[in-house]
Amino acid sequence: MNRPLVSTVLVVATAALLGGCASSQATYVDPASTRTLSNVGEINVQDWNMASESMINSLISKHINSGSLKGSGPDGRAILAISRIVNNTSIQIDTDILVKKIRVALLGTGKVVADITAGLGGPEDPLAAEAKREQQFLGTQKVAGRPDYTLSGKIIENRTRQGNQRESTYVFQMALATRDGLAVWEEEKTITKQGKRAPVGW
Amino acid sequence: MNFHFVRVFATAALLALLGAGCQTVNTTETAQPAFQRNMVSEKRVITDASLARKVQILGVNVSDGPGGFLKVQAEVLNTTRRYQRFAYKWEWFDKDGNLVEGPSSVAVIRQVEGKESLFINGVAPNPSVRDFRLKLYENAR
Repeated sequence: MNRPLVSTVLVVATAALLGGCASSQATYVDPASTRTLSNVGEINVQDWNMASESMINSLISKHINSGSLKGSGPDGRAILAISRIVNNTSIQIDTDILVKKIRVALLGTGKVVADITAGLGGPEDPLAAEAKREQQFLGTQKVAGRPDYTLSGKIIENRTRQGNQRESTYVFQMALATRDGLAVWEEEKTITKQGKRAPVGW
Repeated sequence: MNFHFVRVFATAALLALLGAGCQTVNTTETAQPAFQRNMVSEKRVITDASLARKVQILGVNVSDGPGGFLKVQAEVLNTTRRYQRFAYKWEWFDKDGNLVEGPSSVAVIRQVEGKESLFINGVAPNPSVRDFRLKLYENAR
């Protein structure tokens, strides 16, 4: 084989390899669609979406739309604070993915406001908490008191396997309690996913 | 070997194979239901005839609660004998026809057995919503 031909083949092969490296371009997908990736061992975007959709629909139709909501906040809106959301799964998750969606939806109803100065791990917004304390001390402005409702929840995982078929179940539980500690709304959403284990893998 | 026997056996085996993936549903309900649904007349825009043949909307009814939130329920029927997966998504509009977006406007995946009907429910994200649109998607995972 002559030398120019070998050089040409080498150049083409290098170009092909470099081209392959450059082809890992990202594609944007709508997170509200069914085009996002999902797997068995994790809570994926679609799972969070479906869990929050179910919780929001239930909370609006069973509690807010029935006229049961009582509030002491501005314009008679109910003041909501977020309590503990327990992660009882084997994976590390940020429960704010679920809670924030619910809060955004509740605020959007025009019937609820969220208190971001009250929280178990300290205030979500320390500056707002400081300003509220100042207002309360000076007494110059009427400041919203204790939250009317608190939202708490738990996420539970259950895994099972049969042959090379794997199944993961995630149970999302939420409750809304009044100042008296009475749960006035509760909901549970179960999401089950099945998939086959890869024939070779770790 | 008797040719007739082979033909009968092959047909039976083929029918058994075809029926293996099917699990259909029979439903019983009261002849005179205690409720009366407020059914709405709908306009259907079908862009995927394949999906429309498999999963069909039987009817849509709406109601309003004391809080003024529009509540919609659609009955969906799997017209085939096979298990189907589909996704749906609600879109909500105010009185001026503007889309009201929110975290609950997401595609929700549902599964339906052969010949089974099920209800899908949606509730408006706020009381200003006056109208809705329901979208069905095929090939949901």
